Amino acid sequence: MEFHDTIPTDLPVDSRMQETPPRRLELEFTGSGSEYFRIWVVNLLLIIVTATLYTPFARARRLAYFYANTRVGGHALGFHGNPWTMLRGYLLVAGLGAAYAVALRLAPWMAAAAVLLFAGVWPALWRASLQFRLGNTSWRGLRFGFEGDLAAAYKAVLPIYLPAALVMAVLVGLAPYEGSQPAGMPGLVAALVGMLGLLTPLLYPLGLAWMKRYQHGGFRYASETTRLNAGAGAFYLIALKSVVVAVVGFALGFALLWLLGGDVMKGGMLTHTPSPWAMLLTVALVVAVYLLMFALVWPYFTVRLQNRVWNATASHRLQFESDLRFAPYLSVSALNFLLTLFTLGLYRPFAAVATARMRLEAMAVQVRGDVDDWLARAQQHGAGTTGDAAGDFFGIDLGL
Amino acid sequence: MNQALPVHWFDGVRPRAREALVRVDDGDLVIEGRGADAGLVRRVPLKQVRWPERQRHGVRLAHLPGGGTLSGDDGAAWDAWARANGLDESSVVKLQQSWRGVLLALLATVAVLAALWVWGVPVAARGVLALVPTTLDQRVGDTAFEQLDKRYFKPSELPAARQQALRDALDQAVQAAYPAQERPAYTLHFRTDAKPEGGIGPNALALPGGHVVLTDAMAQLFQDQTPVLVGVLAHELGHVRHRHGMRMLVQTGLLGALAGLVVGDFSSLLAGIPALLGQQAYSRDFEREADAEALHVLKANRLSPRVMLALFDRLDLQRAKAGGRGPTVGLPIALASHPSDDERRRFFSAE
Repeated sequence: MEFHDTIPTDLPVDSRMQETPPRRLELEFTGSGSEYFRIWVVNLLLIIVTATLYTPFARARRLAYFYANTRVGGHALGFHGNPWTMLRGYLLVAGLGAAYAVALRLAPWMAAAAVLLFAGVWPALWRASLQFRLGNTSWRGLRFGFEGDLAAAYKAVLPIYLPAALVMAVLVGLAPYEGSQPAGMPGLVAALVGMLGLLTPLLYPLGLAWMKRYQHGGFRYASETTRLNAGAGAFYLIALKSVVVAVVGFALGFALLWLLGGDVMKGGMLTHTPSPWAMLLTVALVVAVYLLMFALVWPYFTVRLQNRVWNATASHRLQFESDLRFAPYLSVSALNFLLTLFTLGLYRPFAAVATARMRLEAMAVQVRGDVDDWLARAQQHGAGTTGDAAGDFFGIDLGL
Repeated sequence: MNQALPVHWFDGVRPRAREALVRVDDGDLVIEGRGADAGLVRRVPLKQVRWPERQRHGVRLAHLPGGGTLSGDDGAAWDAWARANGLDESSVVKLQQSWRGVLLALLATVAVLAALWVWGVPVAARGVLALVPTTLDQRVGDTAFEQLDKRYFKPSELPAARQQALRDALDQAVQAAYPAQERPAYTLHFRTDAKPEGGIGPNALALPGGHVVLTDAMAQLFQDQTPVLVGVLAHELGHVRHRHGMRMLVQTGLLGALAGLVVGDFSSLLAGIPALLGQQAYSRDFEREADAEALHVLKANRLSPRVMLALFDRLDLQRAKAGGRGPTVGLPIALASHPSDDERRRFFSAE
């Protein structure tokens, strides 16, 4: 697991900057599970008794806690979000979500309209959320910003949206024939739908690449704006490796299942009367294999993605680094899952802290030049565009 | 108290950390630069500062009006300074920083969650449905029935006369049991399983909007005992009368949201478990309510509720024939959608 080779070495070298060698700022996370547990419990109670209206206040407190415990080169991050502003965004998103959930169950055309509406506004919400989150994050007293524009947000989701839209259009087009042909769709159309269905996973890494490029290509600090130096190929590689890990995980899991539960399965087939308990046991084993696979594949994907994306994130004078290791991350996430399960959710805040610590402390930032002399962008406190104002007014935070 | 606290002072324009001392003076926060920045002084009214909350770990950051930030690395010293200068602390923070308070909050959370599960969600669902016009039930039910009909059913093979006789019997029973304005509007459909294998067999079901389905297998099982069928259909009408289908939709939605709050974004699978258990519990409550309606209809028509015992007997027999052995081992009651047959037998034989 070597990641250093992925750090681009072809950064434009400015002769002025060569005077000072790059400084490496380590990330350190000082949060504690037991303290976050206390914050979480009280937040949870308040969220429940206020019919979830307290959620933005809880989120602001949680972010403030995690930020105050995240030190970059010794200085903590600051969270400036106003929970009352975030409440407006929360109500907006919750209202949309509720309308969506209701419409899904009413009638097919309403469900379709709801899906279209939600898909239509999602990129705008996503951008607003990034703007809000970064605009309310500071380091050394200076706010970050997000530069991505609205059109690019819509473009970034195209590889995800297009195949879904095509499948939906074909299904809608076929709907009138469904009843008249009990034998199903004509072979050609079925093949078409199948191919379109296949298109979705095939285009997913491209969509991920475009979305990450949009996100990591828009971070601003002082006069630095980052870009993502990774092509779509890198994301296809991660997806491919994850699929390999999944296949290996499945194979191992089923081999295990056969060894452990083989008697049960064979017995059931021979006598034709599987007892309910044997069937329950088999189901439990299958669920265990399924969980095992997720416990393996998801951490693998997370680790690879974090390293690939952050190692490729750089600006003129900044270079991010991430060296998250798979084996330790795997054991932390497996432990998190099991303990959360066995404590009926009470371990969740400890899990959040453990994950944040491992993921953050794997990172560092290389800085060229003296940060002290950097200057906040002049328009930082200006009115901004309409989109910014809307994002600010609603305080949308999707928790991305 | 005029104690001074050493902090890092950022002006919000440059990311440069200035060494400074802060103290409180006459309702103002006074920030005085040190070292290279000696002589730099700023006064800010205390009320305009966004203060950090007390916590055990991490840096304290106070946000000044106009974009400046004060950063205190020594959290304990900062908290002591804030307390000595009488800066307010919210009761939420007090609660969060005391283990006893947290334990109480945890117990309260569990109690509130339990109360919401048992009473809150059903009451809220009733409240929501009181606002929802029944035309919506009709629409939801129509869609669901159309889907079911297309996939699982084909038209009944019962003789038309028998169908009409059952319709009349139910109609009569309903008229006798409920005053005109309380009678549920319903449509009775006779259907049979589209495929002989894996169908629903002898059964009846109710959908929102008054769709009641009776399978041929059920009608044939009680060919000689129309009162049992009246009881079965009255049970289904109970579901219709209480809008159980719609209530289940709303209740599972609310329950899912509740489970999501606790373990939500951590794992949707974990969130699904309490939601599933809760849904089955609600379903058992609905069945009891529907059984009570069946009892009411039977009694109002001077039929003995005990006729319903035949239902459980013959269904048992039917299952035994199909499975080749005795009554199957039931699922643990927490996982079942209906109350146990024993409980239902007792209910119908009690009076």
